[in-house]
Amino acid sequence: MKKKLVSLLLVSAMAIGTLAGCGSNNAGNDDKKETTKEDNKDAASGETKDVALTVWSPQEDQDTGWLKQQCEAFNEAHPEWNVTFEYGVCPEGEAKDTVKNDVEGSADVYMLANDNIPDLVSVNGLAEIGGSYLDDIKANNSESIVSSVTYNDAVVAFPFTSNTWFMYYDKSVFSEDDIKSLDTMLEKGKVSFPLTNSWYIASFYAANGCTLFGDGTDEAAGIDFGGDKAAAVTNYLVDLAANPNFINDADGAGLAGLRDGSVNAVFSGTWDAASVEEALGENMGVAALPTVNFGDAEGTLKSFMGSKAIGVNPNADDMEVAMALAAYLAGEESQLAHYETRNVLPTNTNIDVSSDAIAQAVADVMKNTSIVQPLVSKMGQYWSPAENMGKAIIAGEVTHDNAADKTEEMNTAMNTDLAE
Amino acid sequence: MSNTAIRAGKARKTVKNIFVHVILAILAFIWVLPIFWVVVTSFRGEKGSYVTTFLPKTYTFNNYIKLFTDTSILNFPRMFMNTLIIAIFVCIISTVFVLSVSYCMSRMRFKMRKPFMNIAMILGLFPSFMSMISVYYILKALNLVEGGMIRIALIIVFSAGSGVGFYVAKGFFDTIPKSLDEAAIIDGATRWQIFTRITIPLSKPIIVYTILTSFMAPWIDFIFAKVICRADAKYYTVSIGLWKMLEKEYIDSWYTCFAAGAVVVSIPIAILFMITQKYYVEGMSGAVKG
Amino acid sequence: MKKAEKKNKEEFKSPYTIIGAITKGNVITKLSLLIMGLGNIAHKQIVKGLMYLAVEISWLVYMIQYGFYSLSMLPSLGWREQQKVWNKEKSIFEYEAGDQSNLILLFGVATLFVTAMFIIVWRDAVKSSYKAELLAKEGSHINTFKEDFKSLFNQNLHKLLLGAPIMGVLVFTILPLIYNITMAFTNYSKLNDKMVLFDWVGIDNFKKILNIRDGIGGQFYSVLGWTLIWAVFATVLNYIFGMILAIVINRKETKAKGFWRFCFVLSIAVPQFVSLLIMRSMLQPTGIVNTLLLKYGIIDTALPFFSSPMWARVTVIVINIWVGIPYTLLQVTGILQNIPAELYEAAKIDGANTVQIFFKITLPYMLFVMTPYLITQFTGNINNFNVIFLLSGGNPTGVGDTAGSTDLLVTWLYKLTVDKSYYNLGAVIGIMTFIVLAIVSLITYRNTASYKDEEGFM
Repeated sequence: MKKKLVSLLLVSAMAIGTLAGCGSNNAGNDDKKETTKEDNKDAASGETKDVALTVWSPQEDQDTGWLKQQCEAFNEAHPEWNVTFEYGVCPEGEAKDTVKNDVEGSADVYMLANDNIPDLVSVNGLAEIGGSYLDDIKANNSESIVSSVTYNDAVVAFPFTSNTWFMYYDKSVFSEDDIKSLDTMLEKGKVSFPLTNSWYIASFYAANGCTLFGDGTDEAAGIDFGGDKAAAVTNYLVDLAANPNFINDADGAGLAGLRDGSVNAVFSGTWDAASVEEALGENMGVAALPTVNFGDAEGTLKSFMGSKAIGVNPNADDMEVAMALAAYLAGEESQLAHYETRNVLPTNTNIDVSSDAIAQAVADVMKNTSIVQPLVSKMGQYWSPAENMGKAIIAGEVTHDNAADKTEEMNTAMNTDLAE
Repeated sequence: MSNTAIRAGKARKTVKNIFVHVILAILAFIWVLPIFWVVVTSFRGEKGSYVTTFLPKTYTFNNYIKLFTDTSILNFPRMFMNTLIIAIFVCIISTVFVLSVSYCMSRMRFKMRKPFMNIAMILGLFPSFMSMISVYYILKALNLVEGGMIRIALIIVFSAGSGVGFYVAKGFFDTIPKSLDEAAIIDGATRWQIFTRITIPLSKPIIVYTILTSFMAPWIDFIFAKVICRADAKYYTVSIGLWKMLEKEYIDSWYTCFAAGAVVVSIPIAILFMITQKYYVEGMSGAVKG
Repeated sequence: MKKAEKKNKEEFKSPYTIIGAITKGNVITKLSLLIMGLGNIAHKQIVKGLMYLAVEISWLVYMIQYGFYSLSMLPSLGWREQQKVWNKEKSIFEYEAGDQSNLILLFGVATLFVTAMFIIVWRDAVKSSYKAELLAKEGSHINTFKEDFKSLFNQNLHKLLLGAPIMGVLVFTILPLIYNITMAFTNYSKLNDKMVLFDWVGIDNFKKILNIRDGIGGQFYSVLGWTLIWAVFATVLNYIFGMILAIVINRKETKAKGFWRFCFVLSIAVPQFVSLLIMRSMLQPTGIVNTLLLKYGIIDTALPFFSSPMWARVTVIVINIWVGIPYTLLQVTGILQNIPAELYEAAKIDGANTVQIFFKITLPYMLFVMTPYLITQFTGNINNFNVIFLLSGGNPTGVGDTAGSTDLLVTWLYKLTVDKSYYNLGAVIGIMTFIVLAIVSLITYRNTASYKDEEGFM
């Protein structure tokens, strides 16, 4: 029998295997140790050090040229390093999905939404920040922003903008007084709210005293979305869904309604600012969240408040430069440039944005109508049950009769890890 | 037979024919409707994904212009070229693989044949996305996940496993009479000659089918390509782009462009289909009767 | 069936066996057990012998450089944690990477895989040496390299044609598959923070999934049930409607055949995820279908296409018909035209009508040719990720459940692995599905006419 082909195949299989060995990270480790030693030598002798860094950011930061400008400015500010940059596209919200598949092969410096932090830390994807860098973060940001990037008592990313949602409304329909209460708004005009989105629906439960992990950091406390207070919210939402002046905001129904006048208020974030302005023009109003009357009690909607931040990969070829770059990109000058080019609201308290209506609304939300989006790994159990609840309410499967039971069911699901 | 009976028979036939055509028309309407919707949406003047009328209130060509000129957020022309290049290679490799395997399974007799057929069938039962990450690492070990090599990696991903999808083509080859092969062997032809000069020319419909299905793979996959390309936007395929247009930041301003993109993507496939359709119509009839 | 297998074995039986080589071979053949290709070289099959030797050398090099290390790590799956050192001078933490269990597992499995392939080649090399020895003893002709090469285009054509496709399948389908199977025996999941370093846990995960009283185990059975129902409906309905449509279009009396066919097949040209997403948005409570129906007063409340469990299930099956029929149509059209006309003529002479012809000739012929297609369709539908993921996303989902009422095993798996990072449980579900389905489809397939009697219809 002639098995030439098989043998050829095997040779190529060997080749594959050989290469596979190269890819394994142990070989990489050895290299790294050596380079670190060399780096130290270079630094001591005061020569220019050549460094290659990969940076990931959303596409918009690259089109507007913001990222490139900032990176080049960083290069100029540090004559002791000669950095060559390579850019990749990765939206902040997708950081965990992209990084976790191959941490070692990911960017040295990348942007992330703060809710990605637990997942990223669990795959060793974020380097801890300490020393002078940590002092700078604490000095220039509000406490809630700092806590949004703190996980297991360690600060793991440089925050550069807040991430939350607020209310856009039509000034010709609602007065300044009307927008203080959701119930008044529902009488005067049409309101759209993304009830089937679990990032938003929590605001109702939080308004009536339901908590997530105590103050948001106590993992052992668990999620408290049960009992009478939560059932009252579910009952309220059942009525809300049946209200003819309420429109569930899914698949873009809210914005489209604003445009043709069939919706007068939507709840969304800074990313929709341009579209809303286009739809409402001068009548565009921006405000923090309204209050809701649950019958026995009244409360203010509380949105999740998070941040977007810049993280450093522990596998970075040159930790020193990568850390410095991340700090620079989230620094005061960069934040200002970011705000000017793309309207990315700064978190740095030294930057004055009081003339900006949206910035004011966000500041107001952060101060009065928000809770910190909990950064604990069990938070992962919150999303699906909450979303299912929203969908079941809209589908009419939750009624006043079963509201209490369904609420308990949701609470149980939120507090059980299905794999335990 | 009287004249009236013949006429009645004819009338019944006409009624039946009209009935059949009406049913066909209704069904065809239902089938074409969503596609028609995509096409009109691509010309819609109003923004956004949510509409209350079936036909647009205003028509515009701007969606197409934006799709091809506004490369700031999503570089559609580049994605289109990437996908086209990848699709052409995938199509060639897969077609060769599928035809080779199905010919062997249909005509050759060797020890591993039945085991291979059984294994091939059950391989399809394992969800492919589960092996996504391991495929990525295998490609990484082959140094195929950086820079221009990503294209090669994508070609491999879409074509490497195509050999197991031979069942349809094998079923087809089975219908080609063996007597043709036997006659050729008597004339002194080698197996290779039989394969290339007799079987292949008789198999146009199945070749067309294979080409069509394998050409489409890179256009429609929206999971694998992202895992392989990661942050390297230069190598994105159109489906990643189309998928991105539906993300919450983009959906409002890009939805109509999404429809335009879908139309543009459909064009090469539709053209390929129109060129090859006649093989389905005439294809085999007459040529291969045993 | 057993008989056929026996026959299969006997048909390809060869006198050149490993046992034969070990017991009856001469010194050179026995040495070939250690030095591959030696026997071939001794009998002037130089190129062939050298190729075998090259395989052996590359395997050895690979094993020494990486293979043995990979294998030695496999039992523990690694233990070194990532190390963090504070560098005060630079004010940064410096990291030293630790072990990564998933890579250790993958490369360990790959090494086993490469070694298994090496053993196959080794067996061949030994047999080949033995054969050369025997042939030389008999004084028969030993093939030269040129003759071997030529045979690849004739009696050994299958080796030429199958080489690359099998290689592709081995490396990019089977190797990842084995890796995924091994994952089922570990605790690779978000639970207890086992994302980087994880360990072997034996069959714990299987116990959990198979336990019907467990939260996740209970859902497994209901999802499995719906998956099977879905696959049967999706396959059978597509086949029946597709065939009827093809026959109707193919009737002699039907006008504009090409046009009709084009209309139905047009949807193939639109990428599936686009058309499915469009359908989804059209059928939403606020989608165009409901909006128009409400506007013209045909209904009072929006139809719950995706929000009521029953509606959602019917909706996905119906839409799957829309998706699937073009393919069936293409398939059937080709085969319909391939049915020998004599059969029809003979039937007509016997006075059979259209319906009789359909059941006596068309259907049996189609079933004969298309059974493999049907089985691939069935398995394809079991794993029909796109239709469910893009249309309903598995919804509606009960408030406390992880799997929705339209979730198939694959989409549920996707949620468990990609969204929730329970890689081990995902792997178990993958294996269980795989086992159940493999049995079902192998039994069906082996009992079909086209498997038993491949030599032809008629």
